[in-house]
Amino acid sequence: MAVSPARPISSRRLRAGWRTRLFAYLLVAPVVLLIVGLVAYPFLFAIWVSFTDMVVGSVGQFVGFKNFQYLAGTATFWSAIWNTVTIVLVSDVLKLGLGLGLALLVHQHLPGRGLFRSFLMLPWAMPAFVAFLTWRVLYQPIGGGFNLILTQTGIHNGIIDFLGQRSTAMASVIAASVWRGFPFWFVSILAALQSVPRELHEAAIVDGANTWQRFWNVTLPGIMPVIIVTTLLSSIWTANGFEHVWLLTAGGPSDATMVFPVLAYYGMQTQRIGEAAAVSVYMLPVLGILVIFATSLMMRREE
Amino acid sequence: MTPAVATASTQRRYVMGRVVSYALLILAVLMVLFPIYWMAITSLKLPREIYRVPSLWPKTFTLDNFEKLLADGSFLLAIRNSLIVSTVVTLISVTISSFAAYSMVRFRYRFRGVIGRLILFAYLTPGSLLFIPLSIVMAQLRLGNSLVGLVLVYLTFSLPLSTWLLQGYFRGVPRELEEQGMIDGLSRFGALIRIVLPLSAPGIAAVAIFTFTGAWNELLFALVLITSDSQRTAPLALNYLITSDVLPWGPLMAGAVISSVPLMVLYFVAQRFMVAGMTEGGVKG
Repeated sequence: MAVSPARPISSRRLRAGWRTRLFAYLLVAPVVLLIVGLVAYPFLFAIWVSFTDMVVGSVGQFVGFKNFQYLAGTATFWSAIWNTVTIVLVSDVLKLGLGLGLALLVHQHLPGRGLFRSFLMLPWAMPAFVAFLTWRVLYQPIGGGFNLILTQTGIHNGIIDFLGQRSTAMASVIAASVWRGFPFWFVSILAALQSVPRELHEAAIVDGANTWQRFWNVTLPGIMPVIIVTTLLSSIWTANGFEHVWLLTAGGPSDATMVFPVLAYYGMQTQRIGEAAAVSVYMLPVLGILVIFATSLMMRREE
Repeated sequence: MTPAVATASTQRRYVMGRVVSYALLILAVLMVLFPIYWMAITSLKLPREIYRVPSLWPKTFTLDNFEKLLADGSFLLAIRNSLIVSTVVTLISVTISSFAAYSMVRFRYRFRGVIGRLILFAYLTPGSLLFIPLSIVMAQLRLGNSLVGLVLVYLTFSLPLSTWLLQGYFRGVPRELEEQGMIDGLSRFGALIRIVLPLSAPGIAAVAIFTFTGAWNELLFALVLITSDSQRTAPLALNYLITSDVLPWGPLMAGAVISSVPLMVLYFVAQRFMVAGMTEGGVKG
């Protein structure tokens, strides 16, 4: 076989390529190994466990869909579905409204807008557990800030047990979770507004578009991708949120605010691990779709 | 209608618009501040002003609640545990995530796309799904009820987040600067340490703060993993305050102040970096 003169060079190149590739793999390896070991493996393990009768201290036998059937027969499970969906949808709508409205207000070139932005971001900077413990104190019948304001301003006489009665518990949980969650929407939408090219607005003004038409035809299409990603992320986080319900009501009164993560936690506490895992796995189909959508959009935005 | 009148009416509409905007913004700021205010004053009130004669502005200020909270040393221990766990998680995450992010931004190789997707999936994989298997795995590794176990578990959310955000920052570092450094005799790794990392310092600072607060704020994993008093973190210590029979609101809010005010000040100061990370990477906070 004829030895081409290019060979030594190309083999050196190949070696360099090989070493560079090894270097690249070595750099990425620790993160990949830890993610495979601490996220991917436990993820698959959870699915397996949900099909077993595992309790604390036993490995558990495969029992097919028994855990899923058992759960579907309990009223608490159906409350958890209903409540999780309600919290996600209602708080998404409220957070979108607040986030968009406030972002539009701050986006006008008002003096002091930087200060308003800083203050409106504060709930996001507050640790979730602190925020929800504080709201729990605010909701107290005795010594709670809300009851005090209601009675002192004369809006409502008598004490409201916000978290203790079925009629107000859910709305109270949602209000607290909107307070803590809207800044993420506000800041994301504000950044998107600032990236809509000014020329588009000017062109629309030249074409005689009024404020409403400009919002509808220029602003909204410009910020839509951000609104979609924000909605997906926020829905995933809210559906998996534990603190807002756990620290305010622990799922009560009588399951009025029970959600999936809290139900799974109770399952863990009663040591029936198979059933607890089945609770989480029930969320997978819907969450999986949201996660796949969110990752594709985020990866596309990255490129 | 004369032009002068038209200008006056536009002027009036403009002023009205301003007034309404400011009124709405001030209302929103008040609604944001009220819970924070309530946390702060409750921590400074005497029990009688919390329970018997509640007031919007306390008549006497007291540090009793802080003394009560800190008296037996258990909350200080929890703060110490939280500091240890959050610091270690941050150091590990930022270090190995910058390696991974650099590798994925600079080199093209097989599986790079798969790894990128895996990291994003891991970021969005719900903790509520992982806490059950992770608690079993940690028990098998004999790391249940330990801060080491907690650190490992917190890497599940901090690694994907840091890697994802750092990729964004590293993309902004011009390749030419690195090549120049390598011509001047730096190795690849040297170029990463001496050129890429220093140039991305603001981004790395933001990622470090996000990682630290993520670990500092975490409750569910700690609740499942930690069983003994001596290993409790700050969120856990406060959680167990409300599950006791009497609800000690004063000390509870004192604990809330201690665990949140330093972070909120930090965000206020560093928010320029934080906002960029939050909007580009999607950071829950």
